[in-house]
Amino acid sequence: MLQAITTLNILLPLLYLLAFSVYLFDFFNEKKLMSNSKRIVLFITLIFHTFYLISRMIEYNHPPITNKFEIFSIIAFSIGFSYFILELMTDIRATGAFIIFFSLVFQTVSSIFIENTYIVPEVLRNRMLGLHVVNALLGYSGITISAVYGLLFMLLYKNLRSNKFGLIFNRLPSLEILEKLSFYSAVIGFVLLTLAITIGIIWLPLAFPNFSYLDLKLVGTLFVWLIYGLGIAGKLFGNLHGKKVILFSLIGFIVAICSLIITNTLAKTFHSFY
Amino acid sequence: MFVDNNQHISKNISFVLLKVTKMNLFGISINHKNSPLELRENIHLTRNEIVEFIPRLKGSLFSEGVIISTCNRTEIFGFPQNPGFDTASLINHITEYKPVKGIKHEQLSKYFSCSAVRHLLTVASGIDSMIIGDSQILGQVKEAFEISEDMDFAGAVLKRVFDTAIVVGKRAINETSIGEGAVSVSYAAVQVVEKIFSSLEKKSALVIGAGETGELAAINLRDKGIGRIALSNRTFERAEILSAKVHGEIIPFQNLKEHLYNFDIIISATSAGNFLISYDELKEELKKRRGSPVVIMDIAVPRDIDPQVKNLENVFYHDMDSLQIIVDQNLQKRKDQIPLVEKVVIEEMVEFFKWYNALDVVPTIKTMRSFFEEIRNDELEKIKNKIHEEDFAKIEDMTRRMIGRLLHNPTRNLKKIAETGASMNDVITNTIILKELFNLDNVPSNGNINFDNGNGNAEEKKE
Repeated sequence: MLQAITTLNILLPLLYLLAFSVYLFDFFNEKKLMSNSKRIVLFITLIFHTFYLISRMIEYNHPPITNKFEIFSIIAFSIGFSYFILELMTDIRATGAFIIFFSLVFQTVSSIFIENTYIVPEVLRNRMLGLHVVNALLGYSGITISAVYGLLFMLLYKNLRSNKFGLIFNRLPSLEILEKLSFYSAVIGFVLLTLAITIGIIWLPLAFPNFSYLDLKLVGTLFVWLIYGLGIAGKLFGNLHGKKVILFSLIGFIVAICSLIITNTLAKTFHSFY
Repeated sequence: MFVDNNQHISKNISFVLLKVTKMNLFGISINHKNSPLELRENIHLTRNEIVEFIPRLKGSLFSEGVIISTCNRTEIFGFPQNPGFDTASLINHITEYKPVKGIKHEQLSKYFSCSAVRHLLTVASGIDSMIIGDSQILGQVKEAFEISEDMDFAGAVLKRVFDTAIVVGKRAINETSIGEGAVSVSYAAVQVVEKIFSSLEKKSALVIGAGETGELAAINLRDKGIGRIALSNRTFERAEILSAKVHGEIIPFQNLKEHLYNFDIIISATSAGNFLISYDELKEELKKRRGSPVVIMDIAVPRDIDPQVKNLENVFYHDMDSLQIIVDQNLQKRKDQIPLVEKVVIEEMVEFFKWYNALDVVPTIKTMRSFFEEIRNDELEKIKNKIHEEDFAKIEDMTRRMIGRLLHNPTRNLKKIAETGASMNDVITNTIILKELFNLDNVPSNGNINFDNGNGNAEEKKE
C-alpha cells in the first residue's frame, strides 16, 4: 500500500501536468481529436487521485486532512472534480486549462512536501471535523472556479470593448455563459461554505475549550461568506448584471486568499492544527 | 513477320492511347479572375436557360457536358464530339444563344483533360471562389450536374468526375476550416453578438434601416433564432416588406428613440447623413435597462450612432471598422487553409485517375482470364471420356487451381500498376504486352478461340 501511495504521489503531478498541457494545447489549436481525449486524460487523473486519497485514508487510518499538504491534495482533487462535472454538464470545454492549472499547482506542492503521518492528534480523527473540512474545501474550490471564470469574463469583456478579436475572442464561450459559470460556481461554493461554517459553529465550541467567535480564521471566513452572499443576493434580487457580479466573485476570492495566508502564517488561532 | 508484328503493336498502341486520351474533358471558365462583372452578369445562365442551351451543345459540340452558372462564374465542361473541337465554335454557340458584347477568346480560361478535372475540383472546394470558402458553390455544382443527368447529357465518366468534385467539396468543409468564420460585415456583427449572449432565443433585436445591409443583418439574426426582431425605417413600406421576410414587428421611425431600451441588440444601417442617436439620448434610455447589457452594431457609413456610447457601462459598441477586423482575420484564416484544401484536391484526383486508369485494365484482365479458362475447358473436354469420372474431377480441380495460381500475379500486378496512379506509359506498355503475348485482341466474344494445340499449329475450337 505504501509503495502505491509513493508511486501515486509522484505520478499525480505528472498526470495533472499532462491534463493541463492537453487542455492548453487544445485551447490554442482546437483539434477535434483533442476535444474528447483531454476529457479522458482528466478522468483518468481523477480516478488515480481518488485511489490515492482512499489509499492514504486506509494506510494512515485517518482522513487526509491532518496537514497542509494533505489538504492541498484534496483541494487539487476537488477543483479538478468540480471542473469535470461542470464540463460534463455544460459541454463547455475550452476553459479547462485555466482551472486545472490550480489543481496542478496544489498537487505539485502537496507531492513535494507531503509526509507519512501515522500519528495525529485525536481531534483530527473526528468525523465532524472531517465533514467540516471537506465542506470548507469544496466551498473554496467552488469560489476558486468562480474566480477563474470571473477572470475569463473580464478578459473577454475587455477584448470585446477594445475591439480585440484574437484568441480570447475566438476560443472562450460567450460572456453570458462565463457569467453563469462563475455565478453557479459561486453559489455552490457559498452553500458549501455555509455548511462548513454551520458545522464549525455548532461543533467547534464542544471540541475546543479555547474556542472564540472572534477567532481570525472564523472572522475571515465569515467576511468572505458575506461578500459572496451580497453578490448572490444582488444578482438574484437587486438586478446586478455582468461585470458587477463578477467583481463580487473576484473580490471575494482575493479576500479569501488573503484571509487564508494571514490566518495560516501570521496569526495563532485554535484553528491551527499543524 | 517482324514488320507485321510492328504494325500490329503500333495498332495496339493507337487503340490503347485512344482509350487513355478518352479523358478529353474540356472546360472553359468565365469568372471573377478573368472577366469584369458586366461580362459575368451578361453571360450568366439561369436554370431554364441552361436547360434550353444544352440541346444546342449536345450532339454538335459535346457528347456529354455540364454547365455551371452562378453570379460570379459560368463554366462549361464537356467531352468534345469531334477531335477537331475548338473553343471558337463554343463561344459562337454561346453568343448565338445569348448575345454578349466584349467576350474575347483569349479572355476565357481553358482547361483540358487532367487540368479540367483539377479545375472543377478546385471550383467545388470553394478555393477558386471570389469569397474563399464559399459553400454555396458546392450545391451549384451538384445542381448543374443533375440538370445534365436529367437531360441525358452525362455519362459514367462525367458522373465520376462530378462525384469526385462533390466529395472534394464535402471534405474541404469537414476536414478544413475553409468555410469557417464570418466573411461579411453583417455576419461578423452576428458573430460578435454570439460572443456576448449565450443564446439569441430569449433576446430581442432592433434593426434600423431596411436597405441591403440591414436586410442581411435581419436575415442573419432570424437564421440564428433571435427571439424577437423589430424593424424601423424612414420609409414605412420598406420596413413592412422586410418585416414580412423576417417575421418582425415594425417600430415607427419617429418613435424609434423611446423604444431603444427594449432591445438587447441594436443594429443600425441607414444612409442618414448624421447621428440618429446621440450619446445623451442613449444614456438616458439605457437607464431603464438597469445595467442589462446591450450590443450596438453601427454598420452604417457615415455612422448612425454617436461612437461615444461605447464608454457607457455594459454597452458593447461596434462599427464598420471594428467588424471589418473580424472579416479580414477570417479571410486570412481561410486563405491559410488553401494548401490543406489543395491537398484534398490532389488526393481525390489520384483516386479518380486510379479508377479511370483501371477502366482499360479491367476488360483486359477479364479477357485474359476467360482465354485461359477456355483453354482449360478445351483440354479437359479432350480427356473427359478417356478417364474415370473421379480422376476427371481431380484433374478439373487441379487445373482450376493451377490457372488461378498462374494468373494471380499478372492480374494483381496489372491492377496495382493501374491503381497506384503510376505513369500511364506503364499501364499502356503492360496492357499491350499482355494482349500481344496472348493474342487477346483476336479472342472472339463467343468464346471460340483460336489457340495453339501445343505443336505450334493453331486449330479451330471444335464445338
